[in-house]
Amino acid sequence: MAAGGTTATKEHGHPKERVYVIVALWLALITGAEITISYIKMPDPAKIVALVLLSVIKFAAVVGYFMHLKFDNPTLRKPFITGIILAGALYTIVLMAFTLHSNAAPK
Amino acid sequence: MAQQATTVEVHQTSTGIENTKLAMWVFLGSECLLFGALISVFLLYRNHALGGARLHDVYDIPFTSVSSFVLLMSSLTMVLALAAIQRGDQHRLRTWLLATALLGMTFISGQVYEFTIFVHKGFTVHSSVAGASFFILTSFHGAHVTVGILMLLSLFGMSTRGMLPQEKATAVEYIGLYWHFVDIVWIVIFTLVYLIPAPK
Repeated sequence: MAAGGTTATKEHGHPKERVYVIVALWLALITGAEITISYIKMPDPAKIVALVLLSVIKFAAVVGYFMHLKFDNPTLRKPFITGIILAGALYTIVLMAFTLHSNAAPK
Repeated sequence: MAQQATTVEVHQTSTGIENTKLAMWVFLGSECLLFGALISVFLLYRNHALGGARLHDVYDIPFTSVSSFVLLMSSLTMVLALAAIQRGDQHRLRTWLLATALLGMTFISGQVYEFTIFVHKGFTVHSSVAGASFFILTSFHGAHVTVGILMLLSLFGMSTRGMLPQEKATAVEYIGLYWHFVDIVWIVIFTLVYLIPAPK
């Protein structure tokens, strides 16, 4: 399939199929690294940072290459990134509400 | 042919983007908020076991890792299906669409099996707030995967009946966007819910 050298349509500017396969291989490798890190004995903060970082890389790779956001019109990024920012803001606000109000704080 | 199809399908808009495609991205942005809320609730309550089984005692990380890998690879087969229709290769389109649907079904079967094991271990939707938030989050995601599978099978059926020509490649693209979104949500869930250790 990749050896066929076929390209995605040029009017969309999408990458070749070989690129998709390479990205998928990297995603598989990163997933393996995540699982390995989850079993390694290390301080929790370091483990959390490493796992979140790898997760962000996987997220960005799928959105950028498979969903073509890296190649499509930049305007399309706005609604999606806004959604992600608002989701993060929602978590921060709820977390603050829970921790500031001692009665509602989770144990 | 492909260029002609593009000329036919692209509408005149002030953004230069097809309205349907922009609407799809806005929809996915709103879905980020939905899953953001569900993940937030889980993260805030994951230590509320209230005497029931605790999450990290019931997880089977190797099993869930295989499920995650299956869903991740379904994103590859989905994007290969899109590439196939964009070059007019109907045979490969059907192959990759069916492969994506089968990988999705494998993931859902794994989730059902995992839920069954959890219930047998005493971790249910009723056992604790952590249980309720976990099952609501993962079930919502599972429902999204199921809807995606149904859409993929519809595309497969349309293709076998000759109702999905190269000119309708955008239909595969939009359903593909939805499918990849389901995949990236699982990337986040797998890390935040399964892999990251709960605070002691």
